Amino acid sequence: MNDFKALSEAVNKGDNKTALVEVQKSLDAGSSAEEILNKGLITAMNEVGDKFSKGLIFVPQMLRSAKTMQECTNLLQPFFQEGDITSKGKVLIGTVKGDLHDIGKNLVSMMLEGAGFTITDLGVDIPPEKFVEKTKEVKPDIIGLSALLSTTMPAMAQTIEALQKAGLRDQVKIIIGGAPVTEKYAQQINADSYAPDAGSAVNKAKALLGIS
Amino acid sequence: MGKSLPVFKPLPPADVRRIDQASRQILKRIGIRIKDDAILDKLKKAGAKVDYHNQRVRFEEEWLDELLSRAPSKFTLYSRDEKHNLPLGEGEVHFANGGRVFRIINIADGDYRLTMLKDIAHTATLVDRLEHIRFYVIACQAHDVEPQYYHLNDFCNAFNNTNKHVMGGCDNVEGVRQVWKLASLIAGGEDRLRKKPFFSVITNPISPLTIGPNAAKILSFCAIHGIPVTCASAPIAGATSPVTLAGTLAQMHAEVLAGISITQIFFPGAKVLYGAVPTTMDLRNMEFSMGSSEMGMMSAAAVQLSKLYHLPIRASAGVTESKRPDIQSGVEKSFSNLMVAMAGADCVLLAAGMLDSGNSVSYEQYAIDNEIIGMVYRVLSGIRVNKETLSLDVIEQVGPGGNYIMEEHTVDCMREEFFYPGLSIRYNFDIWEERGHPDMLSRANDMVHNILTEHAEGKDGLLGTDMLREIRKTFPEIKNI
Repeated sequence: MNDFKALSEAVNKGDNKTALVEVQKSLDAGSSAEEILNKGLITAMNEVGDKFSKGLIFVPQMLRSAKTMQECTNLLQPFFQEGDITSKGKVLIGTVKGDLHDIGKNLVSMMLEGAGFTITDLGVDIPPEKFVEKTKEVKPDIIGLSALLSTTMPAMAQTIEALQKAGLRDQVKIIIGGAPVTEKYAQQINADSYAPDAGSAVNKAKALLGIS
Repeated sequence: MGKSLPVFKPLPPADVRRIDQASRQILKRIGIRIKDDAILDKLKKAGAKVDYHNQRVRFEEEWLDELLSRAPSKFTLYSRDEKHNLPLGEGEVHFANGGRVFRIINIADGDYRLTMLKDIAHTATLVDRLEHIRFYVIACQAHDVEPQYYHLNDFCNAFNNTNKHVMGGCDNVEGVRQVWKLASLIAGGEDRLRKKPFFSVITNPISPLTIGPNAAKILSFCAIHGIPVTCASAPIAGATSPVTLAGTLAQMHAEVLAGISITQIFFPGAKVLYGAVPTTMDLRNMEFSMGSSEMGMMSAAAVQLSKLYHLPIRASAGVTESKRPDIQSGVEKSFSNLMVAMAGADCVLLAAGMLDSGNSVSYEQYAIDNEIIGMVYRVLSGIRVNKETLSLDVIEQVGPGGNYIMEEHTVDCMREEFFYPGLSIRYNFDIWEERGHPDMLSRANDMVHNILTEHAEGKDGLLGTDMLREIRKTFPEIKNI
């Protein structure tokens, strides 16, 4: 039996090293990967989310916890049985062509990762063709497009058009974000959703896939 | 938190001395009028030059210095729970609200009315809960209480709603005596109150150069009973003092030194604060101007004058002529609060709740001012420079092109480095729109509502059931308790 108390504390603190040691200990003691994930990691992340929504902790703390959770999940990966659900969904994310800003996109990636999504981050200044190519390769559930500048926003529309032409548009949900981006613009360019900040990106992504 | 640097000195040292010299000339040549013969007798016995015909007391320099040297340079204004004690003369700045207004403005419906006893209970509750307002000043006149008992009722309601130190302006010595009796009961005896006085009294000279009989009697009573007291000079430049800032400062400084030295005759070593409320008159139309730039400048200069004699000062700031929490009130309050705090005042009164030239309060303004004061405290605490804050290790670790958001160093230092406002809007545009276009005022409104609702759901009050029963028995004049 294992109450995962030390693991939960480590995830709450965002203490990577201790968390990984605790996961290994639990595995050695005979806990299943699924049990460690559900009773240890996810329960701890729910606590973290709760503290964040009450304003008790700040974004960096939540992100550190999310990262700790992610590394623990990676360690568990080989031990999952067939049928264990380990990912909420696959997200392909990048800053669109002509735009070099990445802080907002990185925040969204980390938050999604912490919430259990699997992320493929293409980086910045990504042309439409690259999004198309990677979509074929990764087969994401969601594509996230980021732009900070009003001058690079049109590249979002071009990316969506390129996906349309390649016949991939119907296979993915597209979510966009960035300072100048609005809900209205998302509708105009045929995106599925828009998130005004990193926290709501998680909720929007879950809503798009119909999960909670 | 709140250690002053102090960095703002509107007067160069030579000018501080020139103003002080002028004040000493005023006290020596012109003197102060004290309109109470019994007090004049006392002062004469103590060595004053008294002109009974004109009720004038003149201060020879040596005698003045002897008296001033008796005044303590450090003492503490206690809170009842001792969690909010206010050490004076230690370089700390303590902000408080302002007092004795007659009107309250209800922001939600734009209505206004005379203030009542419940407004004292409510404002005391707000100050108790707002962390940057460090002590409570009796905020307003209770128009629903008979005049002979309002000080007693005011202070009792304040004590029941905040544990922080309570200061109040008093009109007559009988009122002070009633409050002292009440406080002695709460403290568990006169001696215990004398040791750790958790209330203090403000009285005022009448500019120019007059101390009325009530003020003199209050100074005497407080000195003898160990109640910290301020004789706060409040000249209006251009009306009750010279139009020049230097002249107003010279006259104000003289009035304050006179008040302090008299207190030291009544009881050597009496706890007394230098009190300064210099304001201006807009002579275009004879409109009183508390929120003027000159008010802040003179108040900061008053700190320099008080420190010449190592006296703790109760200065003033955060006042405005505006009738609502708006752009004018934000500008005027921030200006003077910052100037006076950066000058290193021990206490800064009037800094919360007030609008309308000190004639009105609004509950929302307490919350807004709490935030302004929080920003001022952040400025006072300065930029920390040490090995950890210089961050070389983490800069190396992140290297070119990374970011610092998830670094342990960020988490370790983030709370201390920034002031996190509770009312200012920092949402991005869409979130702001989603939340119904909030602003500082609407959020202040919510905050006040939450504090007062939560409070109403609470119990008896901070004094506790047994003490309240005792108080009701001893003081049948107290209402609402």
